[in-house]
Amino acid sequence: MTDEFLTIAEAARLIAAKKLSPVELAKACLGRIEEKDDTLHSFILVTKDRALSDARAAEARMMAAALKGPLDGIPIGHKDIYCTAGIPTTAHSKLLEGNIPTQDATVVRRWTEAGTVLLGKLATHEFAMGGPSFDLPWPPARNPWNPEHFTSGSSSGTGAAVAAGLILGGTGSDTGGSIRGPAALCGIVGIKPTYGLVSRTGVLPLSFSMDHAGPLAWTVEDCALLLQGMAGHDPTDPASANRQVPDFTADLAKGAKGLRIGVVRHFFEADHPASPGTRQGIDQALQVLERLGAEVREVKLSPLADYHACGYLILISEAYAVHEPWMKTRFNDYGELLRDRLALGAFIRAVDYVQALRRRRLLCEEMRTAMADLDILVSASQPAEAPPIAAVPKWGSLEKPSLTMPFNLTGYPAMSVCTGFGEGGLPVSMQLIAKPFQEPTLFRAAHVHEAATAWRKRRPMPASRQAA
Amino acid sequence: MKPKVSEADIDRMVAQAGLPLSADQKRVLYDAYWMLEGMIARVNQPLPREAEPAHLFIVEDVR
Repeated sequence: MTDEFLTIAEAARLIAAKKLSPVELAKACLGRIEEKDDTLHSFILVTKDRALSDARAAEARMMAAALKGPLDGIPIGHKDIYCTAGIPTTAHSKLLEGNIPTQDATVVRRWTEAGTVLLGKLATHEFAMGGPSFDLPWPPARNPWNPEHFTSGSSSGTGAAVAAGLILGGTGSDTGGSIRGPAALCGIVGIKPTYGLVSRTGVLPLSFSMDHAGPLAWTVEDCALLLQGMAGHDPTDPASANRQVPDFTADLAKGAKGLRIGVVRHFFEADHPASPGTRQGIDQALQVLERLGAEVREVKLSPLADYHACGYLILISEAYAVHEPWMKTRFNDYGELLRDRLALGAFIRAVDYVQALRRRRLLCEEMRTAMADLDILVSASQPAEAPPIAAVPKWGSLEKPSLTMPFNLTGYPAMSVCTGFGEGGLPVSMQLIAKPFQEPTLFRAAHVHEAATAWRKRRPMPASRQAA
Repeated sequence: MKPKVSEADIDRMVAQAGLPLSADQKRVLYDAYWMLEGMIARVNQPLPREAEPAHLFIVEDVR
């Protein structure tokens, strides 16, 4: 039965019923990695011994009726900017080759305590910003729907590995869209939670006030289960919110009736025009939600370029501050994409950074006002299907405003879900946004759409013994 | 598009930052700088005096 692509929820139910062996599940995933990852390059390191050890421990708990919860025995991977004690953590960079942390990141520890099975460390854009790069010690991850195409980034390995069924879920980080981008282009689900909900301790920083940690998985419910295992106050993260964590699956079955949805149409129709397939996917998704009882209306915000400029200047300034010592002494040890992108951060004056921080406050206020009588915003998460990996421009994030940046800037929770397939046969997506700490509402809206459509039934790169 | 700054200005900024860049590497940054200038201009549009940055960015809890 392990030829099947199981979701986390399905696997958890089978494990709880003693109908699925965590060891067999781990072996099935390791087999898929062996079969497919020479093409996908989603893993930097496969931790086979650790995986089998974790799986045997989960199996012993299963047999003793002592399972820890729905993540017990679930095969996962961590983006290689999450520190893992005793296991190399490289940020996909020559600068950290051979780096072996002595402590787990808080999220890594929490997932381990929840019983997850660690299959390995996943590819990323270098230090979560430089990619797709071909001049690093490891190749960039490839899109399972077509390996000649881009995964987006920076959580590129997680996006590819989840979509191909090599893991059932994994970690990502999102500073300007690095969870939602790979989720969108790989046709899976990824959530950037509210700023402060998930600890970033032990996650290599890019931009302190924009970095978010979060999960990627095949379904909305799986993301909710993974977030449950991540979230919660951590006194070692200065931005961690000290508040009770809700049950993220509690509202999944509540349906769309009464949901108030605002569509920020100018973001993806005028400010950064999306492809016809992307627009059609969003329109069809909105029709589904409306038919099921949601109220949908249009919302106008400041131009996307205002949010993007503000976010990008803050991001690049903070990132340069993180990297300045190495930029001065080991510039050519970075990949070309990252070193060039980061170097611009050296040119931003303090006054421009402060003006961006001041403008951020106004844009946060605008967002708060716009959402006062709404539960959900809808926009695009990527402008189109995945482009060829060889055609991704160095300055893409400067040339056009990012559709995901507004919600890093404001800290609002946002997720990307698949809305079908575009003209080129690759996934298209939409972005859903909720008010701060209202992740249950976000999962509810996304789950309604997912349950009413058939997009989760289609997988890339089916296993050789599985019907296509 | 060309940036408003000159290549000599970029040279000075690179030197001030202490970055060990080759002439080719500086040229790459010069060619891209106009896009950064556009963003800087956007955030420098007039702001009300009370637009004060938070000391530490924390999202508000809005229900």
